[in-house]
Amino acid sequence: MKLKRLIALSLAAVLTLAGCSFGGDTQKDTAGSAEEAGASTDSDTENQASGETDLSSLKGTTINVYTQGGNLVLGEEKKDADGNTYRDESTAYLAQLAERFTEETGIHVELHVAANEDDVRPLFQVQDDSVDVYTMPNWSIDEWAAYAQSYCTLEEAEGLYGDYALSMPQKDGQIYSIMPARAYNQAVVYNEEVIKAAGYDEIPATLDEFNKMCEAVKAMGVTPISLHRVENWPLATVSDFAGYVAGDANIFTESLKIDNPFSPENPFGKTIKMYTQWKADGFFEPEVYTDFGVAMDSVAYGKAAMMLFGSWVVPQIQGRVPEGKDPSIIKFAPAPDFGAGRYVLSAPASNWSISKFSKNKEASRAFIEFISEDAQFIADMGFIANKKEIEPVIPDLYSIIDSMVEDGECTALIAPASDENTQANQEVLTEAGLYADYKYVGLLFDALDVTKPDDWTAYNKQVEAQNKAYAEGKEKLGIKWVD
Amino acid sequence: MIQESKLYRILRYVFLLAACIFVIIPVVPVVYMAFKTGVEYSSTNVLTPPSNWLNFYNFAYAIRVGKLGRALMNTAVILGISLSLQILFTTMVSYVLHRFEFRGKKIVMTLFTLTMFIPVVTTQTVVFQIIYRMRLVNKMPSVIILYSGVGIVGIYIMFNLLASISKELDESALIDGASYFTIYRRIILPLLKPACTTLLILNGIGMYNDFFIPNLYLRKNVQTFTVALYQFFGSTATPFEIVSAAILLGIIPIGIVYLFLQKYIYYGLAGAVKS
Repeated sequence: MKLKRLIALSLAAVLTLAGCSFGGDTQKDTAGSAEEAGASTDSDTENQASGETDLSSLKGTTINVYTQGGNLVLGEEKKDADGNTYRDESTAYLAQLAERFTEETGIHVELHVAANEDDVRPLFQVQDDSVDVYTMPNWSIDEWAAYAQSYCTLEEAEGLYGDYALSMPQKDGQIYSIMPARAYNQAVVYNEEVIKAAGYDEIPATLDEFNKMCEAVKAMGVTPISLHRVENWPLATVSDFAGYVAGDANIFTESLKIDNPFSPENPFGKTIKMYTQWKADGFFEPEVYTDFGVAMDSVAYGKAAMMLFGSWVVPQIQGRVPEGKDPSIIKFAPAPDFGAGRYVLSAPASNWSISKFSKNKEASRAFIEFISEDAQFIADMGFIANKKEIEPVIPDLYSIIDSMVEDGECTALIAPASDENTQANQEVLTEAGLYADYKYVGLLFDALDVTKPDDWTAYNKQVEAQNKAYAEGKEKLGIKWVD
Repeated sequence: MIQESKLYRILRYVFLLAACIFVIIPVVPVVYMAFKTGVEYSSTNVLTPPSNWLNFYNFAYAIRVGKLGRALMNTAVILGISLSLQILFTTMVSYVLHRFEFRGKKIVMTLFTLTMFIPVVTTQTVVFQIIYRMRLVNKMPSVIILYSGVGIVGIYIMFNLLASISKELDESALIDGASYFTIYRRIILPLLKPACTTLLILNGIGMYNDFFIPNLYLRKNVQTFTVALYQFFGSTATPFEIVSAAILLGIIPIGIVYLFLQKYIYYGLAGAVKS
């Protein structure tokens, strides 16, 4: 019995010591990493300021790059002559760029495809050094600040990228993810053959004409707009379209200035009502698509006329155009004038960061700089190189929008920077139970029963309920618009 | 003998048929999709049969691109080692908890039972840190260690059989000079074989289907079947005709195991319920 007690006590002591040493290590490691991160910030800034990084000393280094752009690493998914799916490796642009980078610098690049932020988050949480460079567009600013190495100051970024720097992930004057490209976003991606068959050569300039075109497409037995409502994220476009309705890219955040943002007399409410009216008019697909690929196929095959999304979707739909047809039938044009003019959002694109815990920060920076200066690679990704000293290559997909912006037929609105008002608006919507999954749009959109398109009673009630919840949330949190 | 009424018999068949349809319907589109081309998948209803039942392109693509062969081999190694260890530990723990009285036994049982109420996901932030500091992330032993633990369900399955093994057997062996370990190894363990098989199948299927743990701990170097399957899923679009072919390939090994060992599953489950 005594022996058992002795063993038990010894085990307890060992466990306690193990626990202490584990905690001690954690603290030490955290401190170490912070020191290391701080030290490298200084050295990086120094290098950047002097503009000199001796790449020859980095030869043989290997950096690990994590990206969500599976298409850029493995190639675009396409269909062969028999209709089977395959990866077109000739479009694996990032893999090709990485090879060129290795040839020029001797720095090896290992590419990893991450499906989403959750795939890499645990590695950052344990301060793992296996991630050097990564692209995670949906992180919160706090996550950027916690896990990304400061790339440069906001001032420096403004010098290189102009006003677009303001929309890059930043905190306290530090840029955490550099975005060397820009894109025209949130416009109409359409199948030219379909709208031509409906009697239109281009996307009409006014909402009335646009609605008439949708009626003509519908009369052909084709879905005018492919929405893919079965998922929530496609509703994100509505917030940006509200900017076009108001002629002000920040209108969604400016909801804070009023108590009834969901009423149709205000731009945001008007935009949601416009979408819901399209639903009542039967402009969206009647069937449920099993996934977004099928939704994209509907436009590629001419079963639907268009989608309302960002430029990222264009190459993917073009890649799905059936064999024997020219992929350029998929075009990208600005949305019609919703009452305040014709607009397109212009936003920084393609974010690249260095992990705070990377041991290869200089090589990582060299890789990101290599990307930012390759205008052709950026165009292959479907974006426009944005660094001031770089001559951009304009991808074909922007030919319509770019010429309209040049001619003054359409105004490019620079995507607003995320600031304290943006954060406050999100907090109010969260308090009102409307933020997650774009409920602030979805609940209204779903309130209309498509089988009773003239009965807007439930919709109007939902408008009242959301306005009330929003106003109460604002009051409860004591949040006001800050000039 | 109770006479079944005609209505009862009809109702029984109607309900059984409905249950069969309920189970089979979700599988039908998977089979259909596996033989469809990408264009067919996008342009036809999920319940429309494929135009060519001999289109094995998706299967070949899934094996080649998804490296499913290697993934299945990794899964087999992990399952083989994990299940052996788990069964060994479960039988040992069950033997001790069933046959011996000692202070704290109730506490031990309570703790085992409590683990049932803690969702695995909630503990993984801490567990990941531990495994990471053991330098086991991206290595097979990480998952093997996590899978080898003893679960309360396994203990109850063993208890059920241990209750039917007479204690006199233990006592006779003890009188003959056998140690407790000899009794466990020579008498108890062989008699627990049916329960071990049940545990092997039940936990084996669970481990084979598990995605969360292998995806978290085996990121790139050692992919299991479910993780290999996941790589076909894109951030927005997924070629479900290829995923379906991969799923069918994944069903084959588990189907074979089930066919050979199904009587043990029935035995174990029926026994566990009785217990």
